[in-house]
Amino acid sequence: MTSALTQAVARLLLLPTLVAAVAIFVKGYAQPGDGFSAGIVASLGILLQYIAFGREKVERLMPVRGMEAAGIGGLLLALTIAIFPLFLGEPLLTHFPPPGSKVIYLGTLELITAVAFDAGIFLLVVGFAVGSMRLVARTGMNEVGGSGLPEESEEVS
Amino acid sequence: MEYFLTAWVVLVPLILALVAAPAAALAGTFRPSLSAPVGAVLAALAAGATLYVWLSGGGEVNFAWAPTLDLRFAVKMDGLAALYSLLATGVGFAVLVYSRRYLPLHLEHEGRPETAAPRFYFFMLLFMGSMVGLAMSQDLILLFVFWDLTAIASYYLIGYDEHKEESRYSALMALLITGITAVLLLIGALMFYAAYGTFSIPRLADLTETGPLLTTAGAFIAVAGLAKSAQVPLHFWLPRAMAAPTPVSAYLHSAAMVAAGVLLIGRVYPLLQKSDALLTGFLVVGTASIAVGGILALTRDVLKQLLAYSTISQYGYVVFMFGLGGKYGAAGASLYVIAHALLKSALFLTAGAVTEATGEDKLSRLGGLARQMPVLAVSGGVAAAGLAAFPLTIGFFKDELLFAAALERGPIFVGISLFAAVLTLAYTWRFWGGIFLGETVTEARKLPVALVAPVAGLGLFVLAGGVFIDPFAELARAAGAVSYAASVESVEPAYHLDARPENLLALATFGLGVLLIISRQVWTGAAGLFAKAGQKLGPERIYAVSLEGLNKLSDRAHTAEVRDLRGRIIAILIPAGILVGLGVVVTPIGGVYKVGEITVRDLPLLLALLSAAIAALATCLTVKHVTLALVISSAGFSIAGAFAFFGAPDVALVAVLIETFLTLLIFGTMRLIPAETLRAGSDGPKVGAWRKAAVATVAAAFVMAVVWGTLSQPFPEKGVVSRLIKLTPEAHAKDVVTVILADFRGLDTLGEITVVALILLAVATLLGRGRP
Repeated sequence: MTSALTQAVARLLLLPTLVAAVAIFVKGYAQPGDGFSAGIVASLGILLQYIAFGREKVERLMPVRGMEAAGIGGLLLALTIAIFPLFLGEPLLTHFPPPGSKVIYLGTLELITAVAFDAGIFLLVVGFAVGSMRLVARTGMNEVGGSGLPEESEEVS
Repeated sequence: MEYFLTAWVVLVPLILALVAAPAAALAGTFRPSLSAPVGAVLAALAAGATLYVWLSGGGEVNFAWAPTLDLRFAVKMDGLAALYSLLATGVGFAVLVYSRRYLPLHLEHEGRPETAAPRFYFFMLLFMGSMVGLAMSQDLILLFVFWDLTAIASYYLIGYDEHKEESRYSALMALLITGITAVLLLIGALMFYAAYGTFSIPRLADLTETGPLLTTAGAFIAVAGLAKSAQVPLHFWLPRAMAAPTPVSAYLHSAAMVAAGVLLIGRVYPLLQKSDALLTGFLVVGTASIAVGGILALTRDVLKQLLAYSTISQYGYVVFMFGLGGKYGAAGASLYVIAHALLKSALFLTAGAVTEATGEDKLSRLGGLARQMPVLAVSGGVAAAGLAAFPLTIGFFKDELLFAAALERGPIFVGISLFAAVLTLAYTWRFWGGIFLGETVTEARKLPVALVAPVAGLGLFVLAGGVFIDPFAELARAAGAVSYAASVESVEPAYHLDARPENLLALATFGLGVLLIISRQVWTGAAGLFAKAGQKLGPERIYAVSLEGLNKLSDRAHTAEVRDLRGRIIAILIPAGILVGLGVVVTPIGGVYKVGEITVRDLPLLLALLSAAIAALATCLTVKHVTLALVISSAGFSIAGAFAFFGAPDVALVAVLIETFLTLLIFGTMRLIPAETLRAGSDGPKVGAWRKAAVATVAAAFVMAVVWGTLSQPFPEKGVVSRLIKLTPEAHAKDVVTVILADFRGLDTLGEITVVALILLAVATLLGRGRP
């Protein structure tokens, strides 16, 4: 379906894209970029594989089936971060450590709860982008005379 | 230190009960058959811990778990809590022992795998744990949390046979009725909080004064309790819920779900009893439930249906006693709940055992089983005798206190009580006599001991309560004292061999009851007519009609949105456009539109804007969908470029990424549209192309005027922006945009990502039909 060149380029680009996504995320607090952008970059890297190799092959080789669940997990993570200050008597979405106190750095990554919140956003974005495109791709295969798999045929309900 | 320890011991029963569900589920993943023993052991331990804590004087734990919202984790092992915790864990234990043998048979009968069993035990024990929490809660919001947990557990238990439509329908009905009324509980709690500034029930009991607020908020809470206790007119979910496997019915309808309703009423009774209107309401609802439940129980043929209506009637008694009030009412209601839980669970288990042995669940297909299953006949007989309030059973005392409470209030109430007791005697006879006496209709198989033993065990309790009432009365008095908010020590159920009014009433009950049983031919027709009328015009019909109406409304709204998307968009855009246009036209022009200085450095920015404009114009000229998509996305990319040159790298980055993803999504979506439809769309007549271009130009001119005008003014939020920038290092960050998203405006972000997650769910549901 796609040429060998596309496939080669897609394969070459996957790792750098993911690394770039992580970099955007990690540097988010110092430079432009945040969980949202990082999530979209990572998703684009994965979606490029879909374009180059087709849905079946990608889903056989990469752990993309659980992406929707990862998205919901991201939302839950963000909600947890948002709610837990309530248990400590602080307003919703208070981040720790509080302003002015010391923060542990790992390179440019800061260990603060705002970063965990951002990680939740990252997961949700990846889950949404990959999950929705995956669903669109699967449905497209089935309904437009594509090579739909037999077990995915229409259910009569 | 010692004080610290003793206080926290109170939590042990609650923790044991709450841990039971996950523990049973975990054990079930190793081997499905392990779930039941693990759950039963934990239930027994929780029952023992409850008894220990109560006997050693109870105790209280109270700390704020969400101080900013004034929510407290306040639990206390008082008499009321001990009573309902013991019921939930004790009867729970018996039911679990029974289920261990019953459930495999049930699953085999339904053709389901053994692996479905742990789920059953999980929700059963979740119910038990929430019930203990509910019983111990002293805070209205904590109570509400456990209340909703029981609703969720009951939904899954009633709908356990998920392949049957009837089960699903019944589960949804129970959830809707108890869930919607639970919101009333929350509203009532918030009303009290708004007026008195606390959710604590004991403090509210001190603070509240008689008045419209107490009556209204109290009524909301009472309705939640009455609906859960299946009182008329919200009773119809209970007979439906008999679709559940027998152990579920036995548990939910004797010691758990239905009991939760009167538990709530008992818990907030110190508040409610201040309002005469509410007490009158209890009397009316109780009487109606006694009558409706009792009469319908006389007409049912299916065993479990008969028992379900009898439960409605029996809880009608309890509500009636709360309505009567006074010390006899409060203590009597508590003793009644204990007695009823023992009796009714034994009767349900009897029904289940009979059905398992014969394969029949209708009275008309049963009879004469006493000869074949003597042990079950005697055990079930003891329970039935208790329900009918025979002496030497615990049931005698429940009626004694009912009569005592009614005698305090007046002759009308005595009449109602007598009527209730007579009805009970009649349908209990119908149940037991119908199964065990007369001609043998269906042969019975031999039953495993584990199906009969729990009935016998519960029967022994019924007899023990008939002889040594003191421990039960002690518990009931302790619980009654909590509800009555005063001592009820003088309430002492006992046998008196004299002609006091209670005894005479009991004798009258037996006389009239026998008369009612003998005169069966006379009233059968009338009772049947009553049942038919209820089906045609009763509240269940209203429920069905309103649910259907809601579904239709939802369908219509959906169709309107989907069929005519363009119309919907026009309906929003045209009025909005007209309003904006009017605003632009009436604004004076002088000084509003300023042109700043343009230097060579702005050239790339201008180029990017120009390219965006060209792309926008090109959308008017393209016809092919693919080209159109590309043109639109190139406009987006140009704008991203403009942002980059404008000094907003964050926005530019996001814009580029979003534009890429959207282009992919548009192409993907286009794949979903059949090729012919796409072709027809692009090959169609070009009428109106110029009209569209004209509309677009006018709209764009207005938008430009607005934007230009806005940008010509100094930013009013300049102060906010600079403040945010100044705060950024405080929040351990260097990039303002990120820190705004994750910290300063975190709540907005939270709302937005929730929407994204919902859209993902919607896409998954629409395209994948829920499958992953």
